[in-house]
Amino acid sequence: MLRKSNSTIQYNLSDQYLGEKILLIISGSFIGINFLALNLQRNDMTISAWSHFGIWILCSWFGNWLLNRFLPKRDHFLFPIVMFLTGWGLILIDRLAPIFAERQSVWVTISVGAMLLVAMFPHTLRWLRQYRYILLLVGLLLLVGTIFLGTNPSGSESAPQLWLGFGIVFFQPSEALKIILVAFLASYLAEQYPIMRTEMPGISRTRLMFSPRVFGPILLMWGLCVLILVWQRDLGTAILFFGVFILLLYVASGSNLILISGLLLVIAAGLVAYRAFPVVQLRMDIWLNPWPEADGRAFQIVQSLLAFGSGGIFGSGVGQGSPTYIPVVHSDFVFSALSEEWGLLGIVAVVACIVVLVSRGLQIAVRQQQRPFMAFLGVGLSVLLALQSFMIMAGVLKIIPLTGVTLPYLSYGGSSLLASFVIVGLLLRLSAVEKLS
Amino acid sequence: MKLSLEVNRLATGLLIAFSVVTITAAYWAVVGPDTITQRQDNPRLVEQEGQIHRGDIQDRNGTTLVTSIENSDRSVSRHYLFPEMNSALGYASLRYGVSGAESAFNSILRGDDLGKDFFDQLAGSLLHRAQRGSDIRVTLDLDIQKTAVDAFGNFHGSAVVIEVPSGAILAMVSLPTFDPNTLDADWEDLTRADGNPFFNRALQGGYQPGGVLQTPLLAAALLADYPIDNKLANVAEPVQIDKLTLRCLETPLNTSLSLAQSYAFGCPFPFENLILNLGSNRIQQAFKTFRFSEPPTLPGYVILPADETNQTTITPTSDASDYLANALGQGRITVTPLEMAVFTAAILNDGNAPTPYTLFQIHRSDRGQWIDAIPSNTTIPLMTASVSHQVRDLMKIALATGAVQAMQRSELDNVGGHIAVAYTGDSTQVWFIGFAGLQSNSGVAMALVLESTDGTDQVAEIGESILATAISKVK
Repeated sequence: MLRKSNSTIQYNLSDQYLGEKILLIISGSFIGINFLALNLQRNDMTISAWSHFGIWILCSWFGNWLLNRFLPKRDHFLFPIVMFLTGWGLILIDRLAPIFAERQSVWVTISVGAMLLVAMFPHTLRWLRQYRYILLLVGLLLLVGTIFLGTNPSGSESAPQLWLGFGIVFFQPSEALKIILVAFLASYLAEQYPIMRTEMPGISRTRLMFSPRVFGPILLMWGLCVLILVWQRDLGTAILFFGVFILLLYVASGSNLILISGLLLVIAAGLVAYRAFPVVQLRMDIWLNPWPEADGRAFQIVQSLLAFGSGGIFGSGVGQGSPTYIPVVHSDFVFSALSEEWGLLGIVAVVACIVVLVSRGLQIAVRQQQRPFMAFLGVGLSVLLALQSFMIMAGVLKIIPLTGVTLPYLSYGGSSLLASFVIVGLLLRLSAVEKLS
Repeated sequence: MKLSLEVNRLATGLLIAFSVVTITAAYWAVVGPDTITQRQDNPRLVEQEGQIHRGDIQDRNGTTLVTSIENSDRSVSRHYLFPEMNSALGYASLRYGVSGAESAFNSILRGDDLGKDFFDQLAGSLLHRAQRGSDIRVTLDLDIQKTAVDAFGNFHGSAVVIEVPSGAILAMVSLPTFDPNTLDADWEDLTRADGNPFFNRALQGGYQPGGVLQTPLLAAALLADYPIDNKLANVAEPVQIDKLTLRCLETPLNTSLSLAQSYAFGCPFPFENLILNLGSNRIQQAFKTFRFSEPPTLPGYVILPADETNQTTITPTSDASDYLANALGQGRITVTPLEMAVFTAAILNDGNAPTPYTLFQIHRSDRGQWIDAIPSNTTIPLMTASVSHQVRDLMKIALATGAVQAMQRSELDNVGGHIAVAYTGDSTQVWFIGFAGLQSNSGVAMALVLESTDGTDQVAEIGESILATAISKVK
């Protein structure tokens, strides 16, 4: 009986290995064909034109091999999906801003390495919980550092100074902080959630929810986000932090009031910010009606919508569209570029990948329900990916005001890519933890 | 700990959010191509337009005049190979549109007129094939055009040469002109340049006719059986119109000449006599018969409406001198070089005005052979054959014995013409209309006008060189 059970497990594992391999091969085929089309279009079939694809293959193969060896019982969807999206991102950056493609390839290598380290290191989760205050402090210090030492890789003084520069390498502390913050919150909620869920005789649940113990951290978090908004003019990160926090708190407490009060606070902050900050006012105005200023302040969002319209259902094909009319297309507007050249089919594929990625993350979290820290960490990381993706996708489609966040795995940006891979590394690690009965 | 419910709700909320993203993207993808992407400020439209491979333009002998070259960025540049052809061919610019032949045959050159079946369209769309237009061959002749432009030198003005009896335009010159290869860069300067280089004088130039109306007046006299051979005393007598004094182009040695004889010397007095004797109604009727009220058009080209520029009514007003001024070509009547060229062609063609055209053949990019695009040969009778023969003979005499010495040296046979001066304010233009015949009613006819000069010798020299080249090319 035992032998039979072992062979079933082995059969299932090898089946999953094969499934992951097939997904990677399909991804590789798609990426390879698109690189071929791009190189043919450029009439450049030199080895250097294939270098990015070569790096992708090496990262995929090596990552798969190492994960099979050291983390066999993991979720077998996560790695192929993020590699698929990353490969697609490499094509996009090579096509949109070739001068950044080499740097992005290096970041892919570093990020995959970081993901493997995080996923395979046995004490990752324990250290994350144990040293949460130190990590949070470091994260906040780095963030505060940008207020005084912040810079922008473009060198522009008027652009948001969200990076710390180390020679030719630039790092955005808010990317690291968002993971630290999720880990910190997961740890905090793992301790607090029993109180949130307890029915106390004589004390209403609403009153409990709005007690300083529960509501205090919400206000604290809101305050932190407002500070980021005020000092750094980083609307995207502020909303992202606050959104993840509220959603995580909702999952922990199960209270709809959290969602409502969170939403009201966002609206209140938004109204104040609209009055106080020209950048917020600009984004709101062009969101409400971009057309009168299509050639001026709303140029970027109008060009983005034109890209969606031009792509149609099938897209123009890689290198065949004109997405470069959108300023900073390789960073904030990579989703619009993708829609122009791969059409609605490409959009559906990317959204489906993100949805599968997030749903796998949430499944991993639910599997660890008996370990609150891991469960909240899984939910937090998944929500982080989902919210960030939604904010930029909806922003470039004019569903919500534009917030300058990157599209995970697809946009250009080393810090963002590194953070996104670390998130997957953590999810892989979580998925490999045996479920408690 | 049980989180399933909240996580499920969260997952549902996220799923709805991503569905909204997908539905919105689908909305723009489906509705966008017919709405938002058609906005005038969509740079993709310009880019798409710039990738259209316009067909080549060749002259009647197959020499390529204009060609399209694809650049590395997939945009297509238009190259105009002969500066002499510029005024006739116009320009095609992404920024400033099209003009001239480029405008007249725009849909053919762009390929808009090509009916494509479903599979062709699908293949074109999937393989991102740029739209490719047809090549065209125009009736213009590079050699004649070159001769004309060279002969003009620094003069401003216009010339139109027509093949008779077909009506094919062999040359169409308008000077000053522009270089379409550098149009985008030069545009601002060109719009401020003297002489308005964008103005196609051959088709749009409403010139004062002056003495060039003597030929139609002669034809009107013949149609009315007016005695043109009766001698008149002192034909060199000047004619006064307001402050303007009209004189013979060259005073004849013997001033007792008939109307027919004085025509060669461009004397206005006998024509004043004719106008007063015939009366306004008969002259007006004759001008109507000659179609001066409906000047010829060139299919596709921009020609200003007759009712705005070509004033053709010579009905006397209360002021008698106004009527006389109009009939003598010094009033409100204006004519274009094309109009006078067609009238001259009618004189060579037994009184029948050919319909002018410039499109000769079309070559579709996906087909092997050239297909004729010549319009059906319709002519408009302007005068009887006998009247046209008489006028033709008088024009031959005018060149042989008349005011213009330069044309008397001509080695051309069967050539006739008339030179005239017109006055506009302080400026003077000099006209030449003429023909060179081959046999019967075939040959070439032309009209030529030089601005800001009264140099009859120069106009005669230019006219002669153009006629000589043109007749040698159509032989």
